[in-house]
Amino acid sequence: MAYKNNKIPFDEDNYTHNINRNNERKLDRRGFMKTLVGAAGVFAVSSLPWGAMAAKELAGLGDKKYPKHKITAVKSIAIGDAVDFAFPGEHDSAILIRLSENKYVAYQNACTHLRCPVFWKKDEGEMLCPCHHGKFDVETGAPIAGPPRRPLPEIHVKVENGAVYAVGVKRYEA
Amino acid sequence: MKRSYVPVILLLAVLMLNIIFTQYMVHQYFYEHYTNTIIAAVINVILFPIAFLIYKKGVNVND
Repeated sequence: MAYKNNKIPFDEDNYTHNINRNNERKLDRRGFMKTLVGAAGVFAVSSLPWGAMAAKELAGLGDKKYPKHKITAVKSIAIGDAVDFAFPGEHDSAILIRLSENKYVAYQNACTHLRCPVFWKKDEGEMLCPCHHGKFDVETGAPIAGPPRRPLPEIHVKVENGAVYAVGVKRYEA
Repeated sequence: MKRSYVPVILLLAVLMLNIIFTQYMVHQYFYEHYTNTIIAAVINVILFPIAFLIYKKGVNVND
């Protein structure tokens, strides 16, 4: 402050308009580059959750773990027969079908139409929901006839020491 | 006052790469190729400091 006018208050009315607003809104080269860097930052931040989710999948945290559950003994289920059980919860009814000597399939047997129980038709070789005649492919659980449009949820089974165990539920994608 | 538009072009290229890798990342996640997803995400993150360096270099040159 080299200059003082020795008046109190100062003889000026420039408190509210003392900002030079010329060209404030102009997007020059520098401002444009700033915008581009900001956009790159937004891309970087927005890809973090994808990386986190992918890492979670790789670490196997996405799969739910259930204690393995003994369904039946191998001796008591003949080839082509089915047995009902409950997995993973006591109210999640499911069906195990022995297709051949070593091939077992298991599905949660609530029909994906209106949750009627699905039965195994041994002589026809397909799974039938008697409520509306929905049919499912026994190999994959995919719907092949009738109203259901989604496959039956599959249960992973394992044969150990002469018994069949349910070890997990396949992730449901539909 | 002679300006260089090379940094602007470079930044635009970086942004294009960002778009490409983002789409690649999302698609690879959908197809359950999680390793590729992580690689694309890391590249996307690394592109940001690169963009910032290009900006820093470009602002002071001839301006």
